This record gives sequence, structure tokens and C-alpha cells, in this order.
Amino acid sequence: MTTRPNPHLDIDNYDADADLMALNMGPQHPSTHGVMRIKLFLDGEVIIKAVPYPGYLHRGVEKLCEKLTFVQIFPIVDKHDYVAPMTNEQAMAVAFERTLGIEVPRRARYLRTILAELTRISSHLLWLGTFTLDIGGTIGGGASMMMYTFRERELILDCFEMLTGSRFHYNTHCVGGNRHEIPDGWVAVVKSIVATMKLRVPEYEQLCTGNEIFNMRSQGVGVISRDLALELGLSGPNLRASGVDHDLRRDQPFHAYDEVDVQVAVAQGGDCFARYQVRIAEFYESIRIVESLIDNIPEGPLSSQRPVKSTLAVKVKTGCHYHGIETPRGELGTYIIGGGDNKSASPYRLKIVPPSLHAMSALPYALVGHTVSDVVAILGSLDPIMGEVDR
Amino acid sequence: MMYVSGTGRAMYQTLLNFFRPVVTEGPRSEGSRAVRYRASFALVHNEHGEEACIGCKLCEKICPSDVIDVAAGGKIVSEATGKKRATCDDFTLNLQACLFCELCVQVCPTDAIVMLRVQEEPSYSREGLVLTMDKLYANEQNKPLAWGTGSKLMAMQDPKKGQPPKVKKPKAVVEKPVTEKPITEEGGT
Repeated sequence: MTTRPNPHLDIDNYDADADLMALNMGPQHPSTHGVMRIKLFLDGEVIIKAVPYPGYLHRGVEKLCEKLTFVQIFPIVDKHDYVAPMTNEQAMAVAFERTLGIEVPRRARYLRTILAELTRISSHLLWLGTFTLDIGGTIGGGASMMMYTFRERELILDCFEMLTGSRFHYNTHCVGGNRHEIPDGWVAVVKSIVATMKLRVPEYEQLCTGNEIFNMRSQGVGVISRDLALELGLSGPNLRASGVDHDLRRDQPFHAYDEVDVQVAVAQGGDCFARYQVRIAEFYESIRIVESLIDNIPEGPLSSQRPVKSTLAVKVKTGCHYHGIETPRGELGTYIIGGGDNKSASPYRLKIVPPSLHAMSALPYALVGHTVSDVVAILGSLDPIMGEVDR
Repeated sequence: MMYVSGTGRAMYQTLLNFFRPVVTEGPRSEGSRAVRYRASFALVHNEHGEEACIGCKLCEKICPSDVIDVAAGGKIVSEATGKKRATCDDFTLNLQACLFCELCVQVCPTDAIVMLRVQEEPSYSREGLVLTMDKLYANEQNKPLAWGTGSKLMAMQDPKKGQPPKVKKPKAVVEKPVTEKPITEEGGT
């Protein structure tokens, strides 16, 4: 990497001999994980400045939530992070329950933990497939890895379909518990998935970790230092790859994580390879958590509240409440301002704090000094989902 | 030798694929779908052969995307049971904005609206995606119904599931002196 001044905040006064070229990457670029535009200022092939422009996938969900009641919000929030919809619902459910002080039965908490970890596996599978595809030409033309990971992801989606009846937009959580009881044979299916993943994750590691091209394209690329990561508010695997030992599953336990020993994976490099290492370690950790819980699901009711009959079933008091949970991408927070009176059934304001937005804010810092071909690698390794950023 | 055995195995796979059933209905046939798979809607009749919908509008109120329109009908006397019951005049479900969230099925007090295990056929016009009452009752006859009904979904979420039913405390019986009513002739016929 050549040493250059860091003019990305003062582009007008940049005095390079060569002319700068402005290049728009996206919004239809296949590796932007949705629709995002990055404006790149190039000196030759080296990036001098990068400006990301989100907003192409804005659907006005937060405004919509002000119209809907707390019961009706659950089917809507599935659409934010469309790679891991289950944890979106859980973030909302946990926020409402903590705000209202509702206890969740132990059976539902176990089920939610298993679902969250399976979602983490499926989300990281999709990330691994597309990341190797972004790096391109690394492993058998880049597409082989994606075929393998999508094969395994299909098993998990089938397992969710067996439980909830839907592959993606589940609506399986409600305030106070879960809606769908565990069907016969579901536990055996989860066990078979765990057994399969135990065999397959070492295979992925063999394909990538030792691969020289993969190492060259990911090591030392897109370094985010510990201080910068903290300053930008990164969370999840991106933060842990920069050497910060922070995981809400262990630090602020939700669901049944207080009954599980969560071992947080931390890497020190802060580059693309470190983020890859953290996510691979999270595969093993998720498999371990699911394995330890699946045999011990306690009997009992699935919900502590009576089943919803009316839209006015849940009411939040006046006041501001913030609660966050750890999703595959990091801390997904929900900020609720209760209705005007104490009996309002819909929020006055509901703000969703997505981890992907913070991950995307690292792009102007991480891209500078790299070449155009590294943009997709860095963007892919940060794993932002535009549906979550724009909402 | 490796080449021969490898070619043999590859040709064996080709032969197997040759006899595999041809996919006719989407990527996955109905048989391989999960039992709880949900898509599209139907209105059903109750065990007496009457239309089960009573036009209570609970589904219309809970729908997050507001796609259901119900027009309540008048009250009639049921021929089967001899009791008064409410009816539904018109029921429209617009699939264009439907989220398939299953909330309408869950709130239905008479299990009238259920979901199907097959998707609705694609349409060339917007009107084709609006399920009218006739289409919904035709779906009951022609298409496989999904597993979920209102009462089943309610039973799954019951917070008192698995617990022994509450035994009411027997009230302290105060023995009253039994006084026989005098039999009067007026009480008779």
C-alpha cells in the first residue's frame, strides 16, 4: 500500500498530479448486498475517497410501525434483515417484553435460543458463500463455495418451514412467547443439521483458510483498528474481529443465554481475514450451543400471555425504552417511545438501530488506499444488509 | 481403470436422472412440503354444512396490511341446530399486499378462514389476485387445506397448557334443613 495523505474528508484540496476519476459503484452492482451506491474517487486504480449512499431500499417501516399496533408489527419486521429474519422478530419481542416486564416461559426461551443460533448459522453460510464469490476466482471460480453453503442453508430453511410453515417470513414470535409448538420429529431434524454442519464447517475451512489466493486477497485488506471500530459503533463479528471482546449474548443475556456458557470468538487483525476467522469460529460456537440445548428443551407452556385475539392486546406505557439483542450482524436495537396515554396499543415512535448501518459507516475509512478490486472484498467482509440499513 | 469406473458412475447417475419424475408444479411438489406450509386462503363450511364465517370482522381488524374486507350479514336461524347465528355477506381478500402472516387464521373464532398448501395461480390482471368469496369457497373444494386453524393455533399458545386444570374449591356446603315443597295441584298440568 502506498503512503498517501488521507484527504477523504477534504477532497477539494487534494493536489494529486493525476486527475481524479469519480466512479459510481452500484446501486445495481451484484456485490453490494442489496442496492447501495458507493461513489469512488480514484487516482489510477487507487481509491482516494469513498462515499457510500444508502437509501435505495427505503420502505418507511418505522413510520408504518406508528400506525400499526404492537401485535401487528411482528410480520412487518421480518423484512428488515432478509438474511436472518428470525432474529428481527426476536429483537422486537425482547424489547416489548422487557419494556412491559413480561416473563417468557423457559420452553419458549430455549426454543428462541435454538432458532437464533440456527439463524446465525444460516446467515453466516450465506455470507461465506457470497464473500468467496466476491473475492472471485479464489475457490473453483468462486462459485463452488456458494453452492456448498447454499446446500446447507437449504436444510436450515426447511427446518424453519417445518416449525412455522414459512421459509422466510415466519411470524412465529409474539409478546410473551412463541406461536408455533415444536412438531413431531423437529428435534431429530435439528440434530441431523447440527451433525451435518459439524462435518461441513471444517471442509469450508480447508477450502479457504489454507488457500493462498484467499489469504492474499483478505489478509491486511480493509483494516479497521480497535479505536476506529469503537468510535464508529461497530458491533457483532466486525467489532470482535478488531479485538474488542463484546458480545451481548454473554454481557446482557437474553433468551436462555444465561444458562449457556457462550465463548466469544475474538480476532486481533481487524482485516477481512480476521472477520472471516471470527465468523468461522461462530459456526462452531453456534453448533455447540444448539447441541447443548436441543436435548434439554423443558416441557411446559410456550407463551405466558393469552393468545392474541385483538389488536389491542399489548399496550406500552408512556416513556422511552431501548433494548438490544445480538443478531448475526451485531447489536440490533429497538427504541420505543410509548403512546401518548398509558393505554396506547401502538408506539408513538419506534426506531430500529441496525448493526449494518454502523458496518457501512466504516467503508470510507476502510476503502481508502486500496484498489478497486478490493472494494468488493471489504464490502463483503463487513456483511451489511441493505434492507436493514434503509428499512 | 479409474477413468472406466468414473465414467461408469457418471453414466449411472445420468440413468437415474432419466427416470426421475419431471417437475410440473414449481420447484417443489406438494408432497415434499412441510405439513405446516402455508400459502393462499380458503373459507370453509362447518360440520353442519353451513358457511362457517359469521362476519365478526376480527380478521379485518388484525390484518397488518389491511387486505381483508368483510361485510357482515344479517342473523338467520340455522337449519341444522335451530339456533340463531350471524352470517357474512361478502368477504374479499386482496393477495397483492398479503404478508401470509397467519394472524387472520389465528383470531378466527369459528375456524372459518384457513390457509392452503398450494399457492394461488398467477394472474394476468390485478383482479385475478383478489380472492372473492366465491373463489375462497371454491378453494375449499379444489385445493388441499393447510394444517392450521384458529383453534389449533390458539391451543398451541395456551399459557396454561400442560398444567392440571384448576380445581375449584368446593364451597362449604351448609346443610339446610330440607323442606319439602308442598305439592300443589296448581303445579301440575
